[in-house]
Amino acid sequence: MKRTKAPHARKSAGNAPARFKVGDRVRVKDLPNMFYSRTQMYARGVSGTIAACTYQDLIPEDEAFNQEGRLEQYYIVRFRQKDLWEEYPSEKDTLQTEFPDRWLEPA
Amino acid sequence: MQTTHQHAGGGHEHKAAPTVEEITDFEVLEIAVRELAIEHGLFTAEDHRRFTEWAESIGPAAGSRLVAKAWTDPAFKARLLADGTAACKEIGIDWAEPTGFGTPSDYMNFRVLEDTPTLHHVIVCTLCSCYPRPLLGMSPEWYRSTNYRRRLVRWPREVLAEFGLILPPEVEIRVEDSNQKCRFIVLPVRPSGTENWTEEQLAAIVTRDCMIGVALPRPGRTADVHPVHKARHPVHSSPSMRAAE
Amino acid sequence: MSQRSELRQQYEIIGSLQPAIHTPQNWNYEIPSALYRAYMHPPHDVGGQRDVPVHYEEKEEEQWELNTYVTCEVLAWRGVWNAEERRRRADNDLGYTLYLGMPYYGRWIWAAARMLVDKNHISLTELLEKIAEVKSRYEAH
Repeated sequence: MKRTKAPHARKSAGNAPARFKVGDRVRVKDLPNMFYSRTQMYARGVSGTIAACTYQDLIPEDEAFNQEGRLEQYYIVRFRQKDLWEEYPSEKDTLQTEFPDRWLEPA
Repeated sequence: MQTTHQHAGGGHEHKAAPTVEEITDFEVLEIAVRELAIEHGLFTAEDHRRFTEWAESIGPAAGSRLVAKAWTDPAFKARLLADGTAACKEIGIDWAEPTGFGTPSDYMNFRVLEDTPTLHHVIVCTLCSCYPRPLLGMSPEWYRSTNYRRRLVRWPREVLAEFGLILPPEVEIRVEDSNQKCRFIVLPVRPSGTENWTEEQLAAIVTRDCMIGVALPRPGRTADVHPVHKARHPVHSSPSMRAAE
Repeated sequence: MSQRSELRQQYEIIGSLQPAIHTPQNWNYEIPSALYRAYMHPPHDVGGQRDVPVHYEEKEEEQWELNTYVTCEVLAWRGVWNAEERRRRADNDLGYTLYLGMPYYGRWIWAAARMLVDKNHISLTELLEKIAEVKSRYEAH
């Protein structure tokens, strides 16, 4: 019976170098939805700024189906609330959330 | 110790338990799945007991101590902001517990969000209920609700106002949507009127809600007050339903 | 479902859970793209949806809820599944009606049961017989 390996025991099929650094402008890709995703609809197609490079890990679309794909760099991206919700009343407020490398493209 | 339990009004009053103990559908399913998993050797009763022991040892007191130490020890605060997971060990919290690689759901990427007089953080997980269990224990039910998850990312000032927290427009509100493998707590600004307080005194005002970001610490505020829905068979009340005993 | 009256009541409840988009025939040859996208949207992705103010409640933990949390985590500890798979199954695979209708840990234990059957760790018959046995064991108390 195939078992899921614990994080420290995983043999990665390779890892991808970080394409972005803190301060870079990025846009969240708007891929189709099917079965599973942790990239929120509200963030798709919206541009923000890399606030932190966090860790490397499997991407959720692979892990949710027990596939041991390559490890990818994750980033915390900061958005202006006004860019996410056009009716948002304050220029100042922000929102941060996290994405793996393949969900981002240079803005 | 930090949550004041109040009975909710309306339809939430809990009736006295019936004399003949009823078993609910989910209680039956839970027992069935657990027993089958053990019978098939997928895990042992001892594994379950060990994890339960860990789960019952966690709670927001650890987070409160962490914040109080960061308020009184600038060098510790710098280490905490640089590497949250490592700094937790200094107060006896090891994110690798209880398996050696952390819990399967909490991972080992802990980050502290530092508030300033002009920046306030508040945490949500819009996709499920990601929460820093090793530091804060189990998440409150409202944090898991679709209501909080739907609204906080888009109407944070309104939702915070419902928690009794009204912030002036010149303070930036930064929502952290904890959607992947990082786990977060808020490091609030140390309130005035707490000069010369001990770490223990400070920890008492750092409640769970302050570390999620839906409340601010202040002298005299030592509990988060919410309506509480009572359990039918609370943890420890029903020995026959307790696993592995 | 011993009583016919209970059966009628079940039919009423199940009827009320059907999607609100009623058409003269209850299957479609085609659907508009916007509806397809809405069907494909993962139910757990709720951020930004409208909702009304409520009292934010605490809930005292039931014994079965703690047991469920531990069972799901230990299944992952022992490599039978992982947390991301649990989130996929418990928050998405079961569809909107169950996602929005079941208790939080009800979804977890349902997902664990489904996973054990899907991966052939147990058979469905074995699960059903176990459920019936546990039920009778406690009712005999």
